[in-house]
Amino acid sequence: MNLKELRNKLDNKEIGAVELAQDYLNRIKARDAAINSYITVCEEEAISQAKAAQAVIDAGESKPLTGIPLSIKDNICTNGVRTTCASRMLEDFIPPYDATAVAKLKSDGFVMLGKTNMDEFAMGGSSQTSYFGGPKNPYNTNCVTGGSSGGAAASVAAGLCAAALGSDTGGSVRQPSAFCGVTGLKPTYGAVSRWGLIAFASSLDQIGVIGNSAFDTGYVLNTIHGYDENDATSSGLSQGNYTELVGSDISKLKIGLTKEFLDGSSEEVRAAVLSAADFYKSLGCEIIECSLPSLEYAVSAYYLISSAEAAANLSRFDGIKYGYRSGLGEDYNDLIKNSRREGFGDEVKRRIMLGNYALCSGYYDAYYNNARRIRTQIRKEYAAIFEKCDVILTPTAPTTAYKIGEQENDPVKMYLADICTVTVNIAGLPAISTTCGYGSDSMPIGMSLTGKPFDEKTIIAVCDRFEREFIRRECAEL
Amino acid sequence: MFDEKQTAHLADLSKLEFTPDELSKMTKDMTDIIALMDKVCDFDPAIKPYTLDSVDYEDLRKDNYKDSYPNEKILENANNTKNDSFVVPKVV
Amino acid sequence: MNYQPVMGLEIHCELLTNSKVFCTCKNEFGGGANTRVCPRCSGMPGTLPLLNKGAVRLAAKAGFATNCTVNNYSAFDRKNYFYPDLPKAYQITQFESPICTDGYIDVTGGKRIRINRIHIEEDAGKLVHDDYEGISMADYNRCGVPLIEIVTEPDFRTIEEVQDFVIQIGQRLNYAGVCDAKMEQGSLRVDVNISLMPYGSDEFGTRAEIKNLNSVKSIGRAIAYEIQRQSEILDKGGKVLQETRRYNENHDDTKAMRSKEEAHDYRYFPEPDIPPVLFTDEEIDIIRREMPELPNQRFERYTKQYKIPEEDAKLILAEKAFSDFYDEAVNITPEYKLISNLMLGEISHQINETGTGITEVKFSPADVAKVAELAAKGTISKGSAKDIIAILFAEGGEPEAIAKKNGFIMSNDTSGLDAIIDEVLTANADAVEKYKAGNAKLFGFIMGQAIKACGKGANPGLIKQTLSEKLK
Repeated sequence: MNLKELRNKLDNKEIGAVELAQDYLNRIKARDAAINSYITVCEEEAISQAKAAQAVIDAGESKPLTGIPLSIKDNICTNGVRTTCASRMLEDFIPPYDATAVAKLKSDGFVMLGKTNMDEFAMGGSSQTSYFGGPKNPYNTNCVTGGSSGGAAASVAAGLCAAALGSDTGGSVRQPSAFCGVTGLKPTYGAVSRWGLIAFASSLDQIGVIGNSAFDTGYVLNTIHGYDENDATSSGLSQGNYTELVGSDISKLKIGLTKEFLDGSSEEVRAAVLSAADFYKSLGCEIIECSLPSLEYAVSAYYLISSAEAAANLSRFDGIKYGYRSGLGEDYNDLIKNSRREGFGDEVKRRIMLGNYALCSGYYDAYYNNARRIRTQIRKEYAAIFEKCDVILTPTAPTTAYKIGEQENDPVKMYLADICTVTVNIAGLPAISTTCGYGSDSMPIGMSLTGKPFDEKTIIAVCDRFEREFIRRECAEL
Repeated sequence: MFDEKQTAHLADLSKLEFTPDELSKMTKDMTDIIALMDKVCDFDPAIKPYTLDSVDYEDLRKDNYKDSYPNEKILENANNTKNDSFVVPKVV
Repeated sequence: MNYQPVMGLEIHCELLTNSKVFCTCKNEFGGGANTRVCPRCSGMPGTLPLLNKGAVRLAAKAGFATNCTVNNYSAFDRKNYFYPDLPKAYQITQFESPICTDGYIDVTGGKRIRINRIHIEEDAGKLVHDDYEGISMADYNRCGVPLIEIVTEPDFRTIEEVQDFVIQIGQRLNYAGVCDAKMEQGSLRVDVNISLMPYGSDEFGTRAEIKNLNSVKSIGRAIAYEIQRQSEILDKGGKVLQETRRYNENHDDTKAMRSKEEAHDYRYFPEPDIPPVLFTDEEIDIIRREMPELPNQRFERYTKQYKIPEEDAKLILAEKAFSDFYDEAVNITPEYKLISNLMLGEISHQINETGTGITEVKFSPADVAKVAELAAKGTISKGSAKDIIAILFAEGGEPEAIAKKNGFIMSNDTSGLDAIIDEVLTANADAVEKYKAGNAKLFGFIMGQAIKACGKGANPGLIKQTLSEKLK
């Protein structure tokens, strides 16, 4: 059942909004202990929002998301509900404002089930850096969910919400969606306002949607997208009606297959993605071999840019205005150093250190500016590909979800695993990940479709076409 | 090349502090990470570094003021306040 | 040994916008702690800056006021440092691409001082220190107040040049509506970079930066002190340290400040939350056309066209409202010198006595123009003109009616005058005799007696004429 069908059920009174919310809350109570996908569950708020939604439905004035229960990643500010970024630093932070995306959901009358687990400050690909303990993969609780929106993806996969808002800076919506066997959409940079998204890397961050299907991600994006006067980098070019091409004929489309991405992936991931390409070919789509020659620089450029911005964005956490304040320290300098030392985890500290390294006088040009040059080059190379293709098909991650504890402690290995996703953020493009197979470990394999700027409609339709044919496996009983 | 002295300098810039053990672990991590980052150092300097697209002057925010936030909302997340202000230990 | 001082300035000016530079809080001085603060200007997580068009417009005007090029492209950067008055721990400023570049101002002696750049940035908050408890209290009301920083080349060689430049900047920005330029309130803040080199050398020495200068006088004294201090160091063969020093008005000296951050590396990089600003030539032109006449242009008009002495012209120009008042008055009655004298005489005197500003007085420029007209036509005496101004100041009213009511209208009727003067001559027969004997000085005394006897409406010209006849 997709969100449109759920909408109809609510509107036809086949199910009540409060009953629906209660169902989800019950499931969260029963199952979330096993996967730890939520940091905060908003039981009271959810019920009262559901009651309000029911009144709107009863009045015949429902909007697309009225009464639909969603989860929100815990780096997206929610007025009056604590927003932790999965960090000790913000353990008790209660924003006095809503993120624009949340405000738009609220004006639709949605039901907020809670705030989902993630990597601390969204820095990571496993969600294991969470101060509250990492979430676990619903397909195998010994495995990671991926990250950083691991809680969001797990909450969707385990049926603990109808869909979820996540954020994607270098793959943080797509990769956990791939690992957890669900669909994740990272919109074009600027399509969704960043107001209220606690910044990791401002020029790369984008709020995205995780759902059970491509259709659902587009359905939610319809509500949250759009220019916002509160975010000078948001764009009026995002048009809306993201599901309108779903079900249309895609057989005339040209699908690019980039060699470099496939080369870096495991055998079974490559095979699954190539069989998806064959599927599209069988529909009549033209498969075009293309190339992103600068891919070899992408991971380094991504980490330099994102860490530099993160170093500045996270400087505001000093224990004085909000957030964790150390009891130690006689003077300002001591207080701030101790608060940050105790409030941040190791990975966050590494990123801050790396970012400041990249910006230091003497290193700036060699590292930060070269990363910006690579960014220019990667954008050019994408533009060249899109002169020949409509969408690009790639793996979402080089492997399936690995075991918890297997590689999170090796930063370089973790960073290299982002190879398939970071270029999309570097170029500001939209991309969607869906399940295209299962590994020998029975874990889901993800493929991604990358589109032209603000052409989410096409990748949603292309992704939907595959999902119609592909049979997903149920995740484990929790 | 990357040594503990540099780690300590970066820690100072970052307002972070490490015990000697943490410092040597961080130095090792940073050495590995920077080795990965060195990949960018030989990139073509003729390419223009990326910048955001410009916005036209006419489209900037109009100079109108609105009410500020209630004082207590601004201060409510602070752990230590006095006289409607944020308390800061003495600045040396 | 005598050294050549070399100085450059960094001047921060608060812009007269309605709202702050990156948020919609009101841009205003004073008020209760943290009452003009929002999540944006207090740097709460998840918030984003929104550039104020008005700040960009005023910065462009500052450029026009100082002969700068206003650039089509300008961009913002983050300047990173930790200090508790800076809630985001970075200041948004313009580093690589400032809005204005390459300007100049000519200062006293005709010397041209080059302006390197003018850029837009945000102000920081204020810390109130509680020495008893050993804490500081951070108030973010001033966070995000829009500033421009004007950076000159090190072209100054004398204190007078520096002072004249600062006065001119303040006046020009004030005239252009960019900044109220009140140094004592901190809306215009001057930092002086100063180094010494032997005369004849062209190699600059190491410079110190002096902060906390809150008047033009302080600037002069601080520079004088710093020249003395650095000379003594150099005389002893020592080295001047590159450092920031704070001027203390009470001690009249400068002391090294502790630096804001031990490690001096601001790690500037492009601000990812604010797109660069594109100014079309047309948009720049529209702002240029909005520029009012600047004080230096008015000075030319006053001295060349109106033939007002330079010193008087400067006094009129010192305050824009005062100069505007003058301009309005001479526009009605082109008695340039007369009106200048009235304004710098009785009006300034009354303003100083009563503390009333020129914008608060009970009379209009038209009233002053009328008084000047009456005096110029000989309807009233110049002395009466002053008296009328005093009455206007106290009560307001219509000048001609005041003149009539108080008997200031000079009579041109000689009948009766003869008789009065004869009486005066009789009463002062002694003086008359001595005058006739050759003591010419006594004419003034006799004249004074005659004016007194004739009363307020007397026409001094006529009295003098009659008196001269009779004393022949």
